[in-house]
Amino acid sequence: MTRQPWVVIGALLLGVPLQAQGRPLTVTGVRGLTFGAVLPGVPFSVSRTDPANSGQFDVRGPNNARVLLSFVLPVAMTGPSGALMTLSFGAGDAGYSQSQAIGSQVGFDPKQSFTATLSNNGRGSVFVGGTANPATNQRAGAYTATLTLNVTVLP
Amino acid sequence: MRNVTRLTLVVAALALTSTAAQAQTNNASITATASVQTPINVVGAQQLSFGNVFPGVNKAVAATDLTNGGRFDVTGQASTPVNLSFTLPATLSSGGNTMPIVNYTGMHALLATQAGGIAFTPSAGASPTLSGTGALFVWVGAQVQPATNQVAGVYTGSITMTVVY
Repeated sequence: MTRQPWVVIGALLLGVPLQAQGRPLTVTGVRGLTFGAVLPGVPFSVSRTDPANSGQFDVRGPNNARVLLSFVLPVAMTGPSGALMTLSFGAGDAGYSQSQAIGSQVGFDPKQSFTATLSNNGRGSVFVGGTANPATNQRAGAYTATLTLNVTVLP
Repeated sequence: MRNVTRLTLVVAALALTSTAAQAQTNNASITATASVQTPINVVGAQQLSFGNVFPGVNKAVAATDLTNGGRFDVTGQASTPVNLSFTLPATLSSGGNTMPIVNYTGMHALLATQAGGIAFTPSAGASPTLSGTGALFVWVGAQVQPATNQVAGVYTGSITMTVVY
């Protein structure tokens, strides 16, 4: 019976770091990356600072948490009858904003993992641009691809 | 002892939860979208034809000549600017014989009738805009200069027009 208090204390001590973790990590795709109308043979780029056409993810998690951001990027968009149109991403095509303001980003390479810190209220946003490269004989029509952002809270 | 056992389980549960929280991972996806417009298509619709020419007598065909001027038909995305460029031969050939072809002229219009056409110099290219239905017509004229001792025969050459957005 005398061991009981120690066990309770131990449980409480283990509970402290758990509480400090705060809210669970959530990632939300807010806005798609939109290239709009593109012409065959004419590459078209969207900047990560483009407020209307850049892609955006919002991240929520523990306050001030360090998080690892990594993208799964498509190499092409798929169009009519399986036609492909290549996509490319430059070293500065992704950006992170702790304040979630598109005008206040730290650029990073979306092909590399990037460590960021959530704000003191556990928020952050990731923006992404890229370039669509239609061939001169690119088949007309609508093309789509999926970009995935993985986020891991670092210990 | 019973209570101790329960608490031990609670401790174990908390430890497991804590470990899981440290490795929190989540993800989300967005869609990239684009709409590819109509590709450009170019057809050599009519040959540039000088007909019969005589040694020592130059002969010209104007770009405005709807019958003999060379014509290219272009289709593409409606109301979209394009750039035209040309590869123009300096001579026509017949076997091993050649005949100079010079003074190229050009005309582009949105209608096959050439109404509202705009003259241009093919060697300098042009940047017209496709019509509201995505059409453009381009004519080419030139002058051949047969020598006084030009060997008789059929002389030909290739004119290439390249169109890009």
